Amino acid sequence: MYHRTILSRFVAGALAGASLFASTAAFAGEVTIWCWDPNFNVAIMKEAAARYTAQHPDTTFNIVDFAKADVEQKLQTALASGTTDALPDIVLIEDYGAQKYLQSFPGAFAELSSKIDFSGFAPYKVQLMTVDGAVYGMPFDSGVTGLYYRKDYIEQAGFKPEDMQNLTWDRFIEIGKQVEAKTGKKMLGLDVNDAGFIRILMQSAGGWYFDKDGRLSIEGNSALKAALETEQKILQAGIFKPAAGWTEWVGTFTTGDVATVTTGVWITGTVKAQADQSGKWGVAPIPKLNVEGASNASNLGGSSWYVTANSSEKDEAIDFLNEVYAKDIDFYQKILAERGAVGSLLAARTGKAYSEADPFFGGEKVWQNFSDWLVKVPSVNYGVFTNEVDTAVTAHLPSLGQGTPVDDVLKAIDSQAQGQIQ
Amino acid sequence: MNVSRFLTTTSQYAFLGVAAFLSLFPFLWMVISSTNTSIDIISGRMGLGDAFRTNVANFFTLVDVPLVFWNSAKVAVLATLLTILVSSLAGYGFEMFKSKARDRIYSLVLLTLMVPFAALMIPLFMMMAKTGLINTHVAIMLPTIASAFIIFYFRQSTKAFPTELRDAAKVDGLKEWQIFLYIYVPVMRSTYAAAFVIVFMVNWNNYLWPLIVLQSNDTKTITLVVSSLASAYYPDYGVVMIGTILATLPTLLVFFVMQRQFVQGMLGSVK
Repeated sequence: MYHRTILSRFVAGALAGASLFASTAAFAGEVTIWCWDPNFNVAIMKEAAARYTAQHPDTTFNIVDFAKADVEQKLQTALASGTTDALPDIVLIEDYGAQKYLQSFPGAFAELSSKIDFSGFAPYKVQLMTVDGAVYGMPFDSGVTGLYYRKDYIEQAGFKPEDMQNLTWDRFIEIGKQVEAKTGKKMLGLDVNDAGFIRILMQSAGGWYFDKDGRLSIEGNSALKAALETEQKILQAGIFKPAAGWTEWVGTFTTGDVATVTTGVWITGTVKAQADQSGKWGVAPIPKLNVEGASNASNLGGSSWYVTANSSEKDEAIDFLNEVYAKDIDFYQKILAERGAVGSLLAARTGKAYSEADPFFGGEKVWQNFSDWLVKVPSVNYGVFTNEVDTAVTAHLPSLGQGTPVDDVLKAIDSQAQGQIQ
Repeated sequence: MNVSRFLTTTSQYAFLGVAAFLSLFPFLWMVISSTNTSIDIISGRMGLGDAFRTNVANFFTLVDVPLVFWNSAKVAVLATLLTILVSSLAGYGFEMFKSKARDRIYSLVLLTLMVPFAALMIPLFMMMAKTGLINTHVAIMLPTIASAFIIFYFRQSTKAFPTELRDAAKVDGLKEWQIFLYIYVPVMRSTYAAAFVIVFMVNWNNYLWPLIVLQSNDTKTITLVVSSLASAYYPDYGVVMIGTILATLPTLLVFFVMQRQFVQGMLGSVK
């Protein structure tokens, strides 16, 4: 129904001599967006919308917030029923699930390769939304990982911040034993019913539950095996504080009970929320595994924007994402400063917020460091069934602690995963 | 009074006490938590805090409370009244009118109870989309109105309805709809009350179907709003607790107001 207005304005603009309408009046539709978290994605999208409407006053935005599981449920129902007019113009999808939607519903999302220059984004973010060489999304927040550590505990144990840079996990465990001997603090909090730690380690060595072609790869997956071995070593060394569930895990470091946290950059706000710990924290690259292809960079979580292919506002939606998310460096400063959001546009690091030294981290330029690591995150294929395999991995993690050989654990995960995927 | 009877009574009360605690604790926890900050809630604080006003203020800034309540109330009340009207007529009909096909049709109706809603969701969604009802409250109500469970409930209760009353009314020259309206409904009022409580609760708490059908912020019901608040990366649990309290109150209120009739209705009494 908006086609006519867009078209007539286009024609009018062309007739009036392009200059009159060139900058503003090409679009006049309402762009509907679905996303979750009122304080994060919704607030950030409102900021992006405000920036776009400042330049394109005829465009309006309808940003609808649903819970994450609800967005997925609605998307799945609308796509499965083929009722495309019930879909929004732009939808937020978690990165781990991207391939599932792109491959299960071919043609449902707009291909953006020709419209947007993806060379400016972190390569791993672009890779996860690519199918057969075509890119289907706008990379959004990153979960680039870091090793957050308590400088005071480390120093009491006889180490310096330099000793924490570019560690291996074996060295990390040795330091952990020292830290416990000298300070009585555990090295890290660990939830043995959550596979997040395994996913971080696995991706840091360029591995995933699936190979580059998306086929299930469990037995014979050297990165996954090394990740499980590392978790087993940590469990056996006893340098961890057990946590049941997310809130308890967060509690391990907010209360000062552990010396390090290895997770995505989005935890920064939670770490900094403990004002009394200011100056005591540092951030280093995460330790690396002892396998081929291992690196000190990885990712946990993150999501991206997708434009639906049948949207009546498709061109407008793409133009909006391109103008703000692919070009507006200042926008990225604002969402970092106000919401703690680290985007995937590499050029964002040249802005003011990214250059600032943070007194909470003893004057370290943490955002510069994170954006260094962002480029290095290995690209992997998240495949169609990441969540299903994750369930299988989680089910067998506790047996690591009971001393079951890693090869047996891999075998058990493999057979459960095979069963769940079929 | 002998010892064994004393022991039996004590153990009965102990059991009931534990059961009552288990059912009431979540409510207690909800009320206590609404007075605490999110951080205190996460760390498991059991005492009353002083963040109640802040939580309420935050909830009211984040959520358009009057609109959301109006949406929920409108959907729940209208859907409940329509469900009871249609389903009680059906239950009455199934019991009163005898025919060969009656029990076969009735079995078919009951069979629909076995189909999980998830299986109906996509076809229903397509129907709503074709009729242009997506993102309307009508779309939420329509599929709930003919409720197999409530039809079953009314038919079972109607078995206790004295047919002599209907025969007498017929002799007096009343038409069928008059019998239903002037004789059946007043006699069955506790059944109606119980059905009202059940159907209202179901509709007020309805989540999956409204979630699928509703598409914009201004049509959302309270269940969707609370779900959205709770799924943030760092939910403010104090605000979520205010939301859950407000979402619970109407059903509690309806239940307490109609408690006596509800119990009578469940026991199947006819006055």
